[in-house]
Amino acid sequence: MKEIRLQSVVPEIFAERNDISSDIWLTDAILERGKSYLIEAASGTGKSSLCSYLYGQRGDYRGLISFDGEDVKGYNINHWCDIRQHNISILFQDLRLFGELTALENVEIKNRITKHRSAKQIEAWFEELGISDKLHSRIDRMSYGQQQRVALIRALCQSYDFLFLDEPISHLDDRNSDIMRDIVLREARAQGAAVVATSIGKHMNIDYDKTLRL
Amino acid sequence: MRLIWKLLRKHISVFELAVFFVANLIGMAVILAGIQIYSDLSPMLTGEKSLIGNDYMIISRPIERVGGETPKISEEEIEALRGEAFVENLGIFASSKFRVDGGIEFKGKQLSTMMFFESVPNEFIDVDSEEWNYEEGDNIVPIILPRNYLNLYNFGFSQTQGLPNITEEMIKRVEISLRIMGNGHTDYYSGYVVGFSDRLNTILVPMSFMTWANDYYSEDYSGDATRLILEVQNPSAPEVVEYMAEHNFVAEDKPSESNKALFLLQVCVAVIVCIGAVFSLLSIIILTLSIYLLLQKNVTKLENLVLIGYKPSYVAIPYILMTMILNVSIYLISIVLVSYGQGMYMGYIGKLFGVTLEASPATAIVAGLMLTAAITLFNFFIIYRKIAEISRKRC
Repeated sequence: MKEIRLQSVVPEIFAERNDISSDIWLTDAILERGKSYLIEAASGTGKSSLCSYLYGQRGDYRGLISFDGEDVKGYNINHWCDIRQHNISILFQDLRLFGELTALENVEIKNRITKHRSAKQIEAWFEELGISDKLHSRIDRMSYGQQQRVALIRALCQSYDFLFLDEPISHLDDRNSDIMRDIVLREARAQGAAVVATSIGKHMNIDYDKTLRL
Repeated sequence: MRLIWKLLRKHISVFELAVFFVANLIGMAVILAGIQIYSDLSPMLTGEKSLIGNDYMIISRPIERVGGETPKISEEEIEALRGEAFVENLGIFASSKFRVDGGIEFKGKQLSTMMFFESVPNEFIDVDSEEWNYEEGDNIVPIILPRNYLNLYNFGFSQTQGLPNITEEMIKRVEISLRIMGNGHTDYYSGYVVGFSDRLNTILVPMSFMTWANDYYSEDYSGDATRLILEVQNPSAPEVVEYMAEHNFVAEDKPSESNKALFLLQVCVAVIVCIGAVFSLLSIIILTLSIYLLLQKNVTKLENLVLIGYKPSYVAIPYILMTMILNVSIYLISIVLVSYGQGMYMGYIGKLFGVTLEASPATAIVAGLMLTAAITLFNFFIIYRKIAEISRKRC
């Protein structure tokens, strides 16, 4: 997948508003593979909605969202599942980890279907992110910041053209935030993928190609 | 799949599944038993392996005046009857056209009476005896009596006269001395009762004896038919009744045992199968609700699995496997129960009719397989639909 294009897209709940001034809503916005974007958003501007639309979670918008010129409204659930395995990876704001599984199992459950990463690689990331002692701890016994790092590792366990990071460092200190940034840039570059990070304030220290205001 | 199972097995209610299991087991076993009983018993009531007997009717012309000749049935009329669709087989009664005196020795005294004989072709006779044959020159004539006669004696005559009861076996041992006269001949034969008929209300001798004796002892044997025995599917069918009235035949009023028995069997089986079906239906509803509840409790996990790229059909596998294991176990246990029950009732029926019956639960196996496949497919359908619904609505 090379580009994601949003033409005159607006969430249905905003449709009646005429005070929208945004780089994404009701414009022609393009996200291209290989570049890095920061989407800055204030609360209530529809950041979660945007991620949901681009990930096939929700379809309550007006306008046209297309992947390489193809309207995504026509995709069925199985097609979206294919995209979620091969084209778009996401680090959810609310993480969406499985509380009753261990940290490693949470990563494995993704890697089982994509068979993308070796166990060694996964453990190396745990090490790099400073949570190697938590490999076999249940996720619901870990802090939110630790969970965020596990969710990132899970997001990396697949091929992707676009890597969405929805407030990835909200609960990380600067040191861990920089480690995460290094891994993200390294992996995205290796895959030639775009990095699309959102932020409501604190954001990863990357030299973004473009900053879009929501 | 191990991780998926670890995630999704939570909230599985053993109690709900156990209720489903027991209810469906009862339902399935009852349905299969009903079907198996029907398939075992209906050929005994109809068809060639009939134990109770097919539907037979005996017809003749009505006797309209005193002193006249017995009304005859012509060959054309017989041929016309043979051509009717409802007639599966037809036999002509042959009656003795010679004088028969039968005697038995009782307490040293010779008791003697005038007798008559009739014959029908062997396929119409409901007595299975190796002694039932006669070849020209034999001095021994096998005889079949109506069971009614014996009952008449035992329950009527002997009780009022203070005479002892007699059993069938006793009668079979008694020699009946027969004196047959006609056409200038007088000969003596030994008659032995070889069996008792429930179907034919007359004194029977083998057709081979009758043909020969009529020829030998009768001066003017014509062989005209006066009574016919018909094998029909249903003697009370409208077309049969209509035909008989139209062609001036009267049927001997013999209740059609097999017909009534078959009807009763059908009613019983229908009731059994209905009860089984209600059980099964309720159990399927329990399982469906149970699965819905289970999926509802796991809705966030299912949603998250689909969000990280698992297809709904894959996520459905643990639930489908679970119902499949349940259904197949229920099926296997039902078959074991049915074949055990079948062994019991077939043994009992075999004893009742004095035959050895083969018990094979083949019908139950096939019917159960179809039923299990249908229930399992239905389970697949509702599981898949529910998961797809969750994925669509939430993802």
